[in-house]
Amino acid sequence: MAAAALGPAILRRIRLSPSPSSSQPFAAAAAAAASHPHALARWLSRPMSSHDAHLTREEVVDRVLDVLKSHPKVDPSKVNPDAHFEKDLGLDSLDTVEVVMAIEEEFKLEIPDREADKIDSLPLAIEYVSNHPMAA
Amino acid sequence: MAAAAAAAPARSEVLSLFRSFLRTARQFSDYNIREYTRRRAADAFRENRALADEPAAAAAFAEGKKQLEVAKRQAVVYSLYAPKSKSIMEMKLQ
Repeated sequence: MAAAALGPAILRRIRLSPSPSSSQPFAAAAAAAASHPHALARWLSRPMSSHDAHLTREEVVDRVLDVLKSHPKVDPSKVNPDAHFEKDLGLDSLDTVEVVMAIEEEFKLEIPDREADKIDSLPLAIEYVSNHPMAA
Repeated sequence: MAAAAAAAPARSEVLSLFRSFLRTARQFSDYNIREYTRRRAADAFRENRALADEPAAAAAFAEGKKQLEVAKRQAVVYSLYAPKSKSIMEMKLQ
């Protein structure tokens, strides 16, 4: 009984005052948000556990398209979510290996050779990344 | 060994070797070495892509495997002398 009454009093005492050091992380987050508008939103929306911290499909599509567009041999205007690396984007088999490696790097994945050989188009790449539990 | 080396490598073997080069290149801590290894591998594979006769293709493949071992060793050596600061090329421009 007495403990229940003490509760609010204790809470009032331990209220934190904002000190310069505790406001710094927020300032850093605000600065990050200013330079990358999506970074803060992504950071806030991401659950703290690694469990079901899955990427949304739109995010995967956007980032895969960005990787393709930044490849030196790809014409950015031809990149769309249904494009085939060799038929639509004019890449050869060596370019395809480079592109798949770049996608690996973007999502911090390691795609085994057998799987990587099969990825020859954007739909397959998007499919693979969005189904991968470790994609980040 | 000698008999196996004479046959031309399969397409998938060549692509797998190229992928191994790119993976090894990624391990270099120094930007310049990392990019050079990647570029050098891509250039060499493009240069040799048209090799028609089997012995030449097999020789190029064997040479590539040897160079991959060199690159792997060098990645370990370079990791002991990692640069203390990043290259300007690695910094994201605002």
